[in-house]
Amino acid sequence: MRASRRALLLAPLAAPALAAEPTLEQVMQALAAVPAQRSRFTEDKVIPELEVGQPNEGTLSWQAPDRLEKHTTWPIDERVTVAAGRLTYERRDRGVQREFALGDQPEMQALVEAVRGTLAGDLAALRRHYGVAFAATAAGWRMVLTPLSLRVLGAVQRITVTGQGNELRSVETEGGGGVDRMQIAPAP
Amino acid sequence: MTRVLAVLALLAGLGGALGWLAPPRANLAEFLPPGRTPASAFLLRELQSGAATTLLLAAIEGAPKAELARLSRETAAGLRASGQFGFVGDGTLRLGEPEEALLFRYRYLLSPETRPEAFTAAALRPKLEALLDGLRSAASPILARYGFADPTGAFLGLAAAWLGESRVATEDGAWFAPGDNPRALLVARGQGAGLDAAAQRLAMTAFHQAFAAATPPPGARLLLSGPGVFAAEAAAGIERDVQRLTLTATLLLAGFLYWRFRSWPVLALVAVPLLAATLAGYAAAVALYGSVHAIALGFGVTMLGVVVDYPILLLTLRRPDESLATAAARIWPTLRLAAVSAAVGLLAMVGSGLPGLVQTGVFAGVGLLTAAATTRWLLPRLVPAETRILARPLGLGSLAALRGRPRTALAVLAVAVAVLAATGGPDRQRDLAALSPVPARQQALDAELRGQLGAPDVRSLFVLGPTASEGEMLGRSEALAGAVEPLVARGLLAGLDLPSRYLPSPALQASRQAALPGDAALAEALREAAVGLPFRPTAFARFTAAMAESRALPPLDLAMLAAGAPTIAARLSPLVSRHGAEVWGIAPATGVAEPRALEAAAAGLGLPGVLFLDVKLEMERLLADYSRATLAWALAGGVAVLGLLAIGLRSPRRALAVAGPIGGAVLVTLAVLGLLREALSLFHLAALLLLAGLAIDYALFLAAGGTADDATTGAVLTCAVSTLLTFGMLSLSETPVLHGIGLTVATGVAAAFLLACAFTPRQVRSA
Repeated sequence: MRASRRALLLAPLAAPALAAEPTLEQVMQALAAVPAQRSRFTEDKVIPELEVGQPNEGTLSWQAPDRLEKHTTWPIDERVTVAAGRLTYERRDRGVQREFALGDQPEMQALVEAVRGTLAGDLAALRRHYGVAFAATAAGWRMVLTPLSLRVLGAVQRITVTGQGNELRSVETEGGGGVDRMQIAPAP
Repeated sequence: MTRVLAVLALLAGLGGALGWLAPPRANLAEFLPPGRTPASAFLLRELQSGAATTLLLAAIEGAPKAELARLSRETAAGLRASGQFGFVGDGTLRLGEPEEALLFRYRYLLSPETRPEAFTAAALRPKLEALLDGLRSAASPILARYGFADPTGAFLGLAAAWLGESRVATEDGAWFAPGDNPRALLVARGQGAGLDAAAQRLAMTAFHQAFAAATPPPGARLLLSGPGVFAAEAAAGIERDVQRLTLTATLLLAGFLYWRFRSWPVLALVAVPLLAATLAGYAAAVALYGSVHAIALGFGVTMLGVVVDYPILLLTLRRPDESLATAAARIWPTLRLAAVSAAVGLLAMVGSGLPGLVQTGVFAGVGLLTAAATTRWLLPRLVPAETRILARPLGLGSLAALRGRPRTALAVLAVAVAVLAATGGPDRQRDLAALSPVPARQQALDAELRGQLGAPDVRSLFVLGPTASEGEMLGRSEALAGAVEPLVARGLLAGLDLPSRYLPSPALQASRQAALPGDAALAEALREAAVGLPFRPTAFARFTAAMAESRALPPLDLAMLAAGAPTIAARLSPLVSRHGAEVWGIAPATGVAEPRALEAAAAGLGLPGVLFLDVKLEMERLLADYSRATLAWALAGGVAVLGLLAIGLRSPRRALAVAGPIGGAVLVTLAVLGLLREALSLFHLAALLLLAGLAIDYALFLAAGGTADDATTGAVLTCAVSTLLTFGMLSLSETPVLHGIGLTVATGVAAAFLLACAFTPRQVRSA
């Protein structure tokens, strides 16, 4: 209630900004201004070779400029942390922990950059790996990323990122005839 | 004077023509001996031209990390574009798309996991479960890409085995060395033979050009190392040393001679026999060996420094009222004996069997005799009869006091013998590295880069061959892989990098094809393994299709790898060596603590056509062989010289009197070298021979001539000082070999001169 009342109060001020559709640069600037963020995600992977989808969920933590953690809590416990160009993969239920330089794994690096680059508002980093198509939508904005590297294209054909203002809403990764849909919401 | 200059010009012209027709060769390999056993022959051939010799290690440092990474990437791209390198490795190195496709197609023929039992339902079940688990994880895009076509993980296992062991950290497309100071690393394999200095210089130039083209910021620098760099650096180092020292020595010598004779023409006159000797030595070596090695030329010219003595003796010993021709005729018997004895002394070099030393010996021997003949017959004709060139008298007070004191000389010799007995004499040099003309700083850099790149210096290795075909060699490699396991278990070595690790033999590939299940059997096994798992029936269609394709593939061979898989071929090709129709394999061992123990154990394996080789041990044995031969020939040469002296002086007693200072000088030199902790190498032995040749001059003219007046002493002193100037400079050289020769000769000459003086009977009053 309070939030809607405040929105009403602010409406006259916000109106001119809403009228103009946000540009890619504005969205990137808004994202770059967020120093830290915690969100919840639910993910559903559809792999053509499997009869059933592979759902999972967990939390996503972001700390500018480059620390990203994807912690899957269900159905497996898996933690992927990226910081300073290194990726740490941890599966406590299997006692597995691996760490490697992202530079050694071009596919992983591209996938990670799609999310990290967006959260950091780092357009240059995104454009190093992807062709970037941007569109404003009724709900906010949508960015379609197409890998530049043939090698990465072998695994991922397209990543669609949607958001609202300075928040990420979904990441949809299409590759190998399957699709991975991740929905993101602010953590309670 | 004009005649002298004309002769000098003629000699120089002839020398230029000869040098142009048969230029000296800079290939270090030709200086090395051929091996005496199959192992050493193989080793030396590999050292000379093997793939390992073309490796270039590089580091870029002196800039921030991001800048270094950019420099590394751009330099590597420039090197690849230059076309001068068979392989360039840097942080951007990974399996390329076509390479991956080829290896993926051959995965079941290459994978050691391919066995009949690997494709049963029982073996497949855990693989499918793991795949399903992986698909839930964050790595699912990669697993989806490979997993359904290769659920047994054959390809990922291969890729990990081939590329996974790299210890170098990759960042931003560059390899970085561990440590606080950022340093980007690169490796490249040139296309020329490693010890061919000229080819290596080209490769190094290409490296520097690629680096410069990457526009390095100020402060950033490129460091290069590797056998090829060593060869080029060694050649350049010797050249630099020789040029600098020769120039200084020549100036000093010219100054000294001018001071002695107060005449510039003397310098030209002294140069004539030297030039003639060099020319004759060069011509003789070309006639005998087709070409002269640059190092033999360098050493040979150095040894010909002796012949400066001949014109000096002639000029100083001429009496005021004598023509030069008469003087030459008068001193000829002694001069002839001195030259022939010195030439015979070089026998040891010729007999050593080491091609470089043999060439040097021939060069110097022929040169000595030519110089003596030139002094006798050519020089007197070049100087007009009326020209008066006289050495100015020397104040020889203290030296005169030394004359005729054989007891003092004997006491000195006794001290030398005592020192030798107490210290056990100088050590024998066993380490080849110490002989290397490569500066220690460069050797240290090489060790550091090899450590950081995880490319250990190849020291212990197994040699497979000779075999008639690639397949046979790979088969032996597979046999060795099994046989060596107990030795690994015993801790004699940590592992072997076998050619068959990258390419199985055709026989093994065929047996793996035979182990692949038929379509129906595989479909049934998959169905059974997937019971209760959510895979669609068509999920593994690519897997079953690959199985059918694999059964029909022709075996993968080296040529196919080289054409389609450059990264793997770059790993494999250094391990394969072709010599004519023979194919050899090389398997470097890592973690060898006790080469001798491993050698003994390897001999016990009983594998035909497999040979263990420890480079250091083998080199030490080779050197010991050559040292023994050289020593034997040196003794023979000594006896021959003594015989010659006895015949020439017509008295064994006088021969012994001459031999006293010579042997004494050798003794004193050995004692001094021992005290200075110089380890004796073949080159020291050669220097001792040279020294003996010089000592013969002094002793003959001083002790045996019966004319031991001030004039003779002055003449010999002039010779000794000239030699001291030249070789004293050489002992300042940073090149170990040149330093050793310089030190040995300079010490010996001083000792020989003083001993010869002391052994000389006191001046007879009538003279």
